[in-house]
Amino acid sequence: MKRILSLAIVLVMASSSSVMAEATVDTVAGGLTNPCGVAIQPGTGTIFVADSGAGRVVRIVDGKAEAVITDFPVDSYGKGPKYAIGPLGLLFIDENVLVVGGGGYPDNEDLLRVYNLPKAGEAAIKADQMAASFKLEKTEDLAGEGNFYGLAYDGSSIFVTTNGDDTKGWIGRAVVSGTKVGPFQRAIATKEATEVDAPVGITMAPDGSIVVGQMGEITVPGDALITFYDAKNGQVLANYETGLSDITGVAYAGKKNLYVTDFNWGKTADGGLFRVIASKNKNKPVKVERIATLDKPTALVTDTDGNVYVTIIGSGEGASGSLVKVTP
Amino acid sequence: MRQFVSRLSLLATVAAMSCLVIGLDATGKDKKGSELPLGLKAMKIPADNPQTAAKIELGKQLYFDKRLSVDNTVSCASCHDPNKGWSNGEKFATGVRGQMGGRSAPTIINSGYVHLQFWDGRAEALEGQALGPIANPIEMDLPIEKAVEKIAAIPGYKKQFKKVFKSAVTADGIAKAIAAFERTIVSGNAPYDQFKAGNESALSESAKRGMDLFFNKAKCAACHKGESFTDGAFHNIGVGYAEENGEPADVGRFAVTNQLGDKGAFKTPTLREIAKTAPYMHDGSVATLEEVVKFYNKGGVKSPQLSEDIFPLKLNEQDIQDIVNFMKEGLSSQDYPHVDPPELP
Repeated sequence: MKRILSLAIVLVMASSSSVMAEATVDTVAGGLTNPCGVAIQPGTGTIFVADSGAGRVVRIVDGKAEAVITDFPVDSYGKGPKYAIGPLGLLFIDENVLVVGGGGYPDNEDLLRVYNLPKAGEAAIKADQMAASFKLEKTEDLAGEGNFYGLAYDGSSIFVTTNGDDTKGWIGRAVVSGTKVGPFQRAIATKEATEVDAPVGITMAPDGSIVVGQMGEITVPGDALITFYDAKNGQVLANYETGLSDITGVAYAGKKNLYVTDFNWGKTADGGLFRVIASKNKNKPVKVERIATLDKPTALVTDTDGNVYVTIIGSGEGASGSLVKVTP
Repeated sequence: MRQFVSRLSLLATVAAMSCLVIGLDATGKDKKGSELPLGLKAMKIPADNPQTAAKIELGKQLYFDKRLSVDNTVSCASCHDPNKGWSNGEKFATGVRGQMGGRSAPTIINSGYVHLQFWDGRAEALEGQALGPIANPIEMDLPIEKAVEKIAAIPGYKKQFKKVFKSAVTADGIAKAIAAFERTIVSGNAPYDQFKAGNESALSESAKRGMDLFFNKAKCAACHKGESFTDGAFHNIGVGYAEENGEPADVGRFAVTNQLGDKGAFKTPTLREIAKTAPYMHDGSVATLEEVVKFYNKGGVKSPQLSEDIFPLKLNEQDIQDIVNFMKEGLSSQDYPHVDPPELP
């Protein structure tokens, strides 16, 4: 199932690469606790980070993290190692409206929350002061959803990766009208489409298709996929093996540079930021190029200059996480 | 709610992708150009070990040859017997001098589709697995250099190695030949595959209900997925724990990775031909498929590393029987990959 289905999709990836040294990596902000989401505020260019283990969303100002939303619930992820996680994916639908994917409650109770943000300099708000919130609750046949890792927006819908029902691997869809969000419903069963677990990273391709990084099994190396879906009907457009292990984030810089972060659960020393490149090899239509080695990268966003901002968990006790800027 | 990707669209995609060729069948007959068994996808073949008829034949001979054990009493086929679902029908594997291991002998059916081998995934690919049991003191107990010497002393093998590998007998060649043979042991075209392809009478009504439960309410497909009904991954389902939240008798994958989350985790086995491979679980502790489903229905045995996909399922007796019927009827192929032992050199 993991193979090219549409040659056209190759056109939204870079098609050549030159051998290059690893990119420059600069720390933008440290002292974060398992940061798991990052977004750039339209209009201001300010970077917001889900300081997940600390249960808060922060904005980065002069290298410092300023709390914007606090007191998110925090849960434990994994069976060992374990990571404290709270807010996960971040997405702006306009300058003042931020959508936050939750991971701090058990499946069935996690929330997708919509906030009207306090202005810079104003006091932080509490997590419960959202303008709206949504769940994907269990039904007679379907398990409740949770861990809303990744969010992407095409101007009319927010697409959300979820990790509750491991037989389905749902992407949820929340309709957006103006700044009004909802309803939020299950939309694409990625596991039925790809036979691989865990949609996590997600973004919109320049052609309007949805790009999903399918993490795969954390105990199996090299099984992560990049899959393109039609945003209108959810059909698979293309599905690529990447050889990466645990893709956590996906983002475009410009129209053809597709970047992904690989956490690489089983061998974190090999994790990092990679560029996905179209190949002329029919048996292996995409290949990946390491841009930077990073210690447990979790999410990424790009700016208009082509810089890539990545949240990394890092190693060590306490708040060892950071936001780094990678200049490819 | 609307599910964008329907099962029908998945079927269409799978069908479009299944017209590829894996190479050769267990007889060594060249099947280039033919189609795969229904329900199976193209198997990845290592670039440095292409399938050839001569290599598969050599691998088959080695697989059935007891001279690869220290006292000429045990072959690969002793524990992975084509007459017993390519397993051995017993709780544990039995090696030379009657020694018993602590794990059951997993079937080799469709093992070519899975990258990490053994219950704990300590070997990569079939080539990485093949020599392990030969050298293992409680299985075949023949150091690899001795195995090479023994095989090299047999003119028929020496001649075949020269033809296949253009070399003398080597450990690498033994591994590659056995792996090439094992890749031909595949099971597809089962009633489940025929049902998916449109034959609605391929499954009984009970098996159809069981299939729906398998993929939905019972959550079996969280791990038993894909063409071989395995994710090739490692999960703690609570088998091997004498008491809740105790320590496992066998730490499984943890011994390989040293990651706490892998304690008590073992590889998801294929469910193809599952009716022929009792007893079940990595320690052979469950005698029947009915008991297996009941084990899952109660939510396994709790431990700190218990998989999130294991929880009480609230299945009733009819549900349990339907799931068992699906596995027994639906995943047993009329084209079971039987192989007779070859004439040895």
